[in-house]
Amino acid sequence: MSYEKKILQMKQMLKKKSPTTEKEQPKFKKPNPPLYADAWDEVGLKKISNDWGTVFLKETHYDLDYQHGKYKLGQFYDALALWDQYEDEHPLKLTSDDLAIFYDTETTGLKGVGTHIFLNGLLEESPHGFTLKQYILADPANETAFLFESRFWQGEKTVITYNGKSFDWPQLQTRWTLNRQHLPPLKTQHQIDLFHSSKRIWKNDLGRMKLSMVEEQKLGFARIDDLPGYLAPIVYLDAVRSGEYEALFQVLTHNEYDLLSLITLFVQATQLVFSEVEKNNATVHTNIGKWYNDLKQSDRGIHLLEGISETYNEKEAAQANYLLANQQKRKKDFVSAAENYKKALPYLVERQWIDASIELAKLYEHQLDDLIDAETYTLNALYKVKSAKFYKKEVKSNKIAEIEKRFLRIRRKQGIK
Amino acid sequence: MIREKRTVKQLIDLWQSDPKMQSRVQHIRVLDEKEATYASFPEQLHPSIRKALASRGIHQLYSHQREAFDYATADQSFTAVTPTASGKSLCYNLPVLQGIMENPQARALYLFPTKALAQDQKSEMNALIEAMDEEILCYTYDGDTAPGIRQKVRKAGHIVMTNPDMLHSGILPHHTKWVSLFENLKYIIVDELHTYKGVFGSHVGHVLRRLQRICHYYGSNPVFICTSATIQNPKELAEALTNTTHELIEKNGAPSGKKTFLFYNPPIVNETFGIRRSAILEVKDLAKKLYESEIQTIIFAKSRVRVEMLVTYLKSLTFQKIHDESVRGYRGGYLPSERRIIEKGLRDGTIQTVISTNALELGVDIGQLQACIMTGYPGNIASAWQQAGRAGRRQDDALIIYVAQSTALDQYVIQHPDYLLGNKPEEARVYPENMLILMDHLKCAAFELPFNQGDSYAEFDVDDLLTYLVEEKILLKTSETWHWMSDSFPAHDISLRSASQENVVIIDRTLTGKASVIGEMDRYSAMTLLHEEAIYIHQGTQYQVEELDWEEKKAYVKEVDVNYFTDANLAVELKVISEDKTMKLGKATASFGDVMTLATATIFKKIRFNTHDNIGSGPIHLPPEELHTSGTWLNFEQPTDWTDDDLNGAMLGVAYAMNSFIPLYIQSDRSDVHVVPQVKAIHNNQPTFFIYDRYPGGIGLSERVYDYWQSLIEHVYDHVESCSCQIGCPSCIGAQDQSGDAKDKVLHFLQSFLLEELMK
Repeated sequence: MSYEKKILQMKQMLKKKSPTTEKEQPKFKKPNPPLYADAWDEVGLKKISNDWGTVFLKETHYDLDYQHGKYKLGQFYDALALWDQYEDEHPLKLTSDDLAIFYDTETTGLKGVGTHIFLNGLLEESPHGFTLKQYILADPANETAFLFESRFWQGEKTVITYNGKSFDWPQLQTRWTLNRQHLPPLKTQHQIDLFHSSKRIWKNDLGRMKLSMVEEQKLGFARIDDLPGYLAPIVYLDAVRSGEYEALFQVLTHNEYDLLSLITLFVQATQLVFSEVEKNNATVHTNIGKWYNDLKQSDRGIHLLEGISETYNEKEAAQANYLLANQQKRKKDFVSAAENYKKALPYLVERQWIDASIELAKLYEHQLDDLIDAETYTLNALYKVKSAKFYKKEVKSNKIAEIEKRFLRIRRKQGIK
Repeated sequence: MIREKRTVKQLIDLWQSDPKMQSRVQHIRVLDEKEATYASFPEQLHPSIRKALASRGIHQLYSHQREAFDYATADQSFTAVTPTASGKSLCYNLPVLQGIMENPQARALYLFPTKALAQDQKSEMNALIEAMDEEILCYTYDGDTAPGIRQKVRKAGHIVMTNPDMLHSGILPHHTKWVSLFENLKYIIVDELHTYKGVFGSHVGHVLRRLQRICHYYGSNPVFICTSATIQNPKELAEALTNTTHELIEKNGAPSGKKTFLFYNPPIVNETFGIRRSAILEVKDLAKKLYESEIQTIIFAKSRVRVEMLVTYLKSLTFQKIHDESVRGYRGGYLPSERRIIEKGLRDGTIQTVISTNALELGVDIGQLQACIMTGYPGNIASAWQQAGRAGRRQDDALIIYVAQSTALDQYVIQHPDYLLGNKPEEARVYPENMLILMDHLKCAAFELPFNQGDSYAEFDVDDLLTYLVEEKILLKTSETWHWMSDSFPAHDISLRSASQENVVIIDRTLTGKASVIGEMDRYSAMTLLHEEAIYIHQGTQYQVEELDWEEKKAYVKEVDVNYFTDANLAVELKVISEDKTMKLGKATASFGDVMTLATATIFKKIRFNTHDNIGSGPIHLPPEELHTSGTWLNFEQPTDWTDDDLNGAMLGVAYAMNSFIPLYIQSDRSDVHVVPQVKAIHNNQPTFFIYDRYPGGIGLSERVYDYWQSLIEHVYDHVESCSCQIGCPSCIGAQDQSGDAKDKVLHFLQSFLLEELMK
């Protein structure tokens, strides 16, 4: 029977209510544990009962020399030691004074109030290693109990996630809001989002920034028989309807991999940010130098970029030279700036080529007093802009007007001299 | 060109002495001017609001604005009937601003049917706030709102202006991000109430029910303020839409000048077929005369193409002057800044003529003009009044010219000016009981907040329906609560605007590689109008359907130039499923209930223009469409002296005319209901006319017709009788063979059979 037919046959089921006075919201009534609670408890999903109801917990311990991909978890402390020495602010900064929690959720959907978090995975330091606590929503009636156990209402923590700023944390806030009559307020916790860091570090180097891609290409970890993330909701929806738990363990493993990878990703990202230049990947190092510049820590940026310039050949170092020139110009080291622009120029993409040429024209016109060179770079830029296809119409005509103005002025100056 | 400035009065006098005009103007009606009724400012009105009003020269209110203020501040929901230019925005803006001045936490949510209207009102509101010199934040929130400021709007906006679609899919399903709005919501403003009718209105009614459910959850109990154009049942509509008791403010205190209505019928160019000269050409000529007399005029045309035709033509009047902007087009999609320019141009007189689509009907304020021309009847009285309301400044005389097209409705209106001016505009109805619409929104509501056992959803008791959704694996029931347990996002699957969920998209691929979508059509109409080889006429251009992909709901068309049109036969099987109401009308019986229709497109004919010869035919291969809906039917004993064939022909003619008349009774689009005649209906073996809602589950339209059968048939008779054609034409009973006496038979059937024998 078609959906429409079915619904329309239910017409007689529709009753209207006469308006009644609204009854008061009843006080909190502790929900019953689901029917499958004991069965799940027996297979290792520990049944926990708190004031608000029931929640399941799977706890796993890892020693410091536990190997995940090419790292041991203990290397986390080497990373902390590096940050302990770092005086400025940095989005990745995490010191031994911070209480770090690696956090990853699994949810029943992608957005909206009807999407539940059904798994809170929390990976923390513990004596002799790390402990993973995976809290599983017993059923939607027991959500308050589930949220309470996350302890995010307690203490000052640094929450480390992969895309948590836009996904996991807002989802948690939504669930918290719905249970706010009963829960202590959710604390605004400091966050480190390794998705953002990965984008800064591996831009133009990795095609996609999916965690599994980073694992495979960078962290030396390959997942075997991993449950694809998009199947997780279906598994949970089925588990709470049928009480079947087998497939749920696959979701737990998936979540466990995610969290272990976050530790090693943090280790690698830290190493890259701190490392002196080695001969392996100019793109990554240039990205990190640019990151420093954007954080207004240009001394570090310049130092790193100079290192790239010395270590790699001119083609590989072209981006670094270009960025270096920008910084040097800002620091009024005009001679070095011009030199680095010129070094970069033959290898730049068209848009940067135009910008670099204009910068050179400016430098030669105003600072280095070489009007002939200034005119040459101006004309080169003008020619390229006119044939460029990537500008929006308005941007293009503004650019042309600007360059033509410069050209006429340079001509005029030459005439006077 | 001779330009000679005239007043409206001088122009009317001039036309009255012109024999050509005399023969075409079939009626002249004059509405007298009306003085303003004022009321003083309410005592508690905040000083900074007084200051802002004073800066605009306002020192007292119109009586309806004061009444609105008093209801709102007494926490009484109300609906105000506000014709164009009656100062409606102060009806809601004053209490809202007062509420925020008294409690800076208070919030207001404004709903407008379109984004453009929200933009307009935001500018107006912000101007007022600026004049008050207070810190009140007013924002629009829709698809165009920049992601960067969305958070600010959610958390800090005192006044949020949006549309029902955004509320439905962008706000309600994310209500936890709007806690400060929902906790403190004091007023919900529903502007242009009359636009929320039929399927769309029924959807919006549910969106408002969901909104109230969420407000209740956060502990607020907002007051509804609705404003509506003149319709017959504003209070009833508001109450059905908001599920709240309303007071009605009907008496409008704003003044209006004298209005003269001219009913203009283009001359007949083909006697046999009753075809008149194109209305658009007549409008051109009239507009030219008004332009030459320097009378500021607004012209309404039904489509963008027509607007463009008129703009091009009228601009040629001014081509000699460089940069002459005295003629401007106005279509949907103009930016507020462009509207400001038009508004300013009208004020300072640089713009003389504005040509607009119906977009301007919807409250967009471009100021008042001296004259208004309607190209054709806009489909209902309420719209006609809105268009007419564009003309008329406080003291000035206003001229409104209605130019009729050849269609049945237009001709009816010109024969019956009292229909339009008799001050009885249509009813607007919503039907939240429609099961499919209800089910859609029940899902959304369950997504937004869990249901507890015994909870109602608005006025509905839904425990059984929720149990059904558990079986469908959408909800999960714990001991006494239903929770959403699915990975889908229901609001995305539900569009408020489309009547039938799946429309056929029409794609023009005349130019290879440049295919473009030119329109869409509900799948029911598509069976007869978009089958392969059909000639589809879109804004005056002929297209032939090359391919109809029924699975994908796409029709591919190519522009052609042929001398025929196509006409498809639709065989409709009708089964009565249940009879809910029945009554005797003389010897006939009228009933109302559930029907199931099975429509199959069978064959199509190619019919030559003018001669109406059949020049070819072909089969149509489409699966039958099933529709379970509500309907009303009228059956009677077969007259003994009629053959089945004659009866069939006459009933077809009557059904054709009825189809064009139903919009007169129930404010609806023509495609919302359908008339089917059967010489022998399956369930009673009698000749029967069926009228059913063309939307699954029904939308309450045929239920209205059930009460109107008698007057419907009387009107059909009057109209067919007064039609100027000889043998039947598209304006009355449909195109007929040249030799036939179909029109006589139809009249005879209506008169001697239906009306005299059965209705007595």
